[in-house]
Amino acid sequence: MSTSPILLRLDRVSRQRAGRPAVSGLSLALGRGEVLGLLGVNGAGKSTTLAMVAGALRPDSGTIALDGEDFLEHPELAATRLGWLPEQTPLWPELTVAEHLQAHGRLRGLAGAALRDAVAATLARLELEPLRRRLAGVLSQGQRQRLGLACALLHRPTLLVLDEPANALDPVQAAALRRLIREQAAAGGAVILSTHLLAEVTAVCDRVAILHEGVLRHDGPVPKDDHAALERRFFEIAMQGSGARAA
Amino acid sequence: MNLFAVTRLELRRLLVRPLGWVLAALTLAWLGWNFTLLLGNFLGAQVKLAAQPDAPGFTDLVAVPLLAQQGFLAFLVVPLLAMSTLAGERRGGTLGLLASLGLPPSRIVLGKYLALLAWLLLWLALAVAMPLALAHAASFDWGKFAAATLGMALLLAALAALGVACSAFATHPALAAALALVLTLALWGVNLGAQMAGLNGGALNWLAMGSHLQPLLRGLVSSADLVWFALLIVVALALAVRRLAADRERG
Repeated sequence: MSTSPILLRLDRVSRQRAGRPAVSGLSLALGRGEVLGLLGVNGAGKSTTLAMVAGALRPDSGTIALDGEDFLEHPELAATRLGWLPEQTPLWPELTVAEHLQAHGRLRGLAGAALRDAVAATLARLELEPLRRRLAGVLSQGQRQRLGLACALLHRPTLLVLDEPANALDPVQAAALRRLIREQAAAGGAVILSTHLLAEVTAVCDRVAILHEGVLRHDGPVPKDDHAALERRFFEIAMQGSGARAA
Repeated sequence: MNLFAVTRLELRRLLVRPLGWVLAALTLAWLGWNFTLLLGNFLGAQVKLAAQPDAPGFTDLVAVPLLAQQGFLAFLVVPLLAMSTLAGERRGGTLGLLASLGLPPSRIVLGKYLALLAWLLLWLALAVAMPLALAHAASFDWGKFAAATLGMALLLAALAALGVACSAFATHPALAAALALVLTLALWGVNLGAQMAGLNGGALNWLAMGSHLQPLLRGLVSSADLVWFALLIVVALALAVRRLAADRERG
């Protein structure tokens, strides 16, 4: 594993979906210890971007490098270095919470004592221990979200990709999630966080990128003491797009 | 390594869902009942059979017909078990998750196929155990029974591959099951029209599944039949892999 300060680099990444460009020429770099907030209105290309970063979708063009290695050439890097929580938490309803973690661990190459330790630590970290024997199909939305997060964190990835992770979490759980994200960054990892909540970005992110109609319109530090400035910038970009469409 | 993790996961899912248990219980109960009927008929015909010089024995009249019945049950059981392997994962969003773990489509397809095959072979073993339980008390044609068991194993392996392929192409598990059933019946009866018209359709006969299973059930093992089953398995799994790869490309 390299120790380059840049953990993830997207270079002119484009992807079409349903015959229209979902992401166009996106270039972005993410350093170790950084938390990037990804903002955009519905259909801006956030989930497509995250699915490409996570390896679930291949870009039509462009390159993605993880830890300096071409991620498209070596998708197996995802198993050990990347954790992904998609927007709709994908679970197997007939398996229990503990079985989910065990399955994710095995799929990521963990076995024996390492797997047992990782499962126990993650159950404790996400406060899922009381639910370990419960079937995923009967979990509440918030519990499902926490289990999805647990699966993404199980193998201690360097890059965590979260697509609207605060959905369905209560305020206490949302605060715990923020702590967890900052811990990930403090440990030298990096996080990409897609959200609709501007307050979430100002609370937890170091940088913010705003996508609109698949194009990166803004990439800069989060104005920590000026939430209104971020809101103005966001609406400016969103309205620009609407204005262009109306014209 | 990851291949067996996929197999283990799929096998676990098969074992905790009620569908597999219900199908196994119903079909094995049906086969058990038919086994007693076949055995009763065989025992009832003992005097008549004893008078014939080359009379069929326990293997021809009980064991092989029982396996043939399981083959027909498999036409329904395998599509029902295979329908969720990929179509269900796609609907639940877990297929994208497996892809994001860096698993190539071939490992996902093969892992799921092996799990399904393991379940089916266990099902076959339970059916095979019925006539085997009486092997010590009857004159058992081991060679013929082994060939018939091999034929059944190949049939189940081929139907499983077809089921997984249909599950890869269908958007809904029920559609996958229906598609697999229709394709299975088509492959089984593709030469029936030609036969009824009194024609010996060479290509159609070669294509028909029955033409390759029947010799094995009669105890004849030919490499041409083995190759036919192997080809069907490889083609079906390759199509499933292609479809999954295309999913990742198209999104």
